[in-house]
Amino acid sequence: MNDELTLLGNCTLDHDGCVVCSDAGIPVRVISIKGDDALCEDAAGTQTDIAVELVAPVTVGEVLLTHGGVAIGKVGT
Amino acid sequence: MKYVDEFRNAELARAVSAEISGLVDPDRHYKIMEVCGGHTHTIYRHGIKDLLPDQVELIHGPGCPVCVLPMGRVDEGIAIAERPEVIFTCFGDMMRVPGSRVNLLEVKAEGADIRMVYSPLDALRIARENPDREVVFYAIGFETTAPSTALTLQRARKEGIENFSVFCNHVTIVPPVRALLDSPDLRLDAFIGPGHVSTVVGCRPYEFMPADYGKPCVVAGFEPLDLMQSILMLMRQLDEGRCEVENQYGRAVLWEGNLKALEAMAEVFELRPYFEWRGLGFIAQSALKLSADYADLDAELRYSTPGVRVADPKACQCGEVLKGVLKPPECKVFGTACTPERPLGALMVSSEGACAAYYNFGRKSFEKVEIGSR
Repeated sequence: MNDELTLLGNCTLDHDGCVVCSDAGIPVRVISIKGDDALCEDAAGTQTDIAVELVAPVTVGEVLLTHGGVAIGKVGT
Repeated sequence: MKYVDEFRNAELARAVSAEISGLVDPDRHYKIMEVCGGHTHTIYRHGIKDLLPDQVELIHGPGCPVCVLPMGRVDEGIAIAERPEVIFTCFGDMMRVPGSRVNLLEVKAEGADIRMVYSPLDALRIARENPDREVVFYAIGFETTAPSTALTLQRARKEGIENFSVFCNHVTIVPPVRALLDSPDLRLDAFIGPGHVSTVVGCRPYEFMPADYGKPCVVAGFEPLDLMQSILMLMRQLDEGRCEVENQYGRAVLWEGNLKALEAMAEVFELRPYFEWRGLGFIAQSALKLSADYADLDAELRYSTPGVRVADPKACQCGEVLKGVLKPPECKVFGTACTPERPLGALMVSSEGACAAYYNFGRKSFEKVEIGSR
């Protein structure tokens, strides 16, 4: 596990609880950017597209806090 | 305390636990409410309760959006889902929430096209892929989740997707907390503020707690030591006679929140005059509906939902548990007529609901009390 990625806890994209009820925030790292979406990877290596308008601008390598497929924050910002 | 290993370090936890014990006035009973369902889950899963002195009691708040949804709203969602032209989409836990007659999972088994999604953006993709069908997203959640619905609606508007609509059940965190503080049957000393809601709204909305009610609040992260440290910060405030909002979760939460997310929400939503909460009744300005600019994407208007009100089953005491008046095992049907496999009340549905969390992780300590009291 990458240390910086775990700054926001150990929740991953295969989180087994209710994303909404648990107020779950999943930390992911930006791999590449495609317009308003970014391909991101969680601490377990799972990749998915995340909408990044609400934390724009983002750069490759940045760590984002995501919820329901949308980035809502950045680490340490 | 930067990394996960440290946030779960037993030695550190014991040290924080000892420090909390050192601050306890033996003649006083402290009631601390964790507002958020995620915190409830962490507390049970990691046995936080066992690390606290007897005088410190944690009260579970109304912070699970599935749990606070009244049955009438579940029934209305089901009525939309049963329409033949509709593809109904929702988050996983919503599927098992009991309506007055059936739940969404049973309606799906009867043939309705109901699909579980991870994000509202998945629902929009389904609409894009099925232009001849009507796709409805059942939106629930506090301010952590509302931005994703707002962003999805903005994208639907931008792309001109008309076969998509949202049945909006988003709620806001401050009004129910204020209602609890106004409740005469509940005396609370302090609050643990929700971490990821605060990533969006910031810490400012909680300033009414110390200002209007004299109650300290610490916004907390979700690892076990996040919670322990937050409880310590609250105990220090109570010990020193301070009363303020503090941010323990500084690595994710800015004091002013995420301004872009708040702007998106302000464009897409407006406050409802009132909304019904399970167990808490009607609370003014406590929920969101789609704004006039997005009315054409509002499923409530598109399908003319009647706004029915359905009383909870008589045996169900979710309301008392939500208000912290009863502990989950004190409910008459806990673990008997109401279990995670066959939930009677919503608190048993979501793994973050207080009853389900207690059923899965907290029964050991309950059994200890039961045996001891015989």
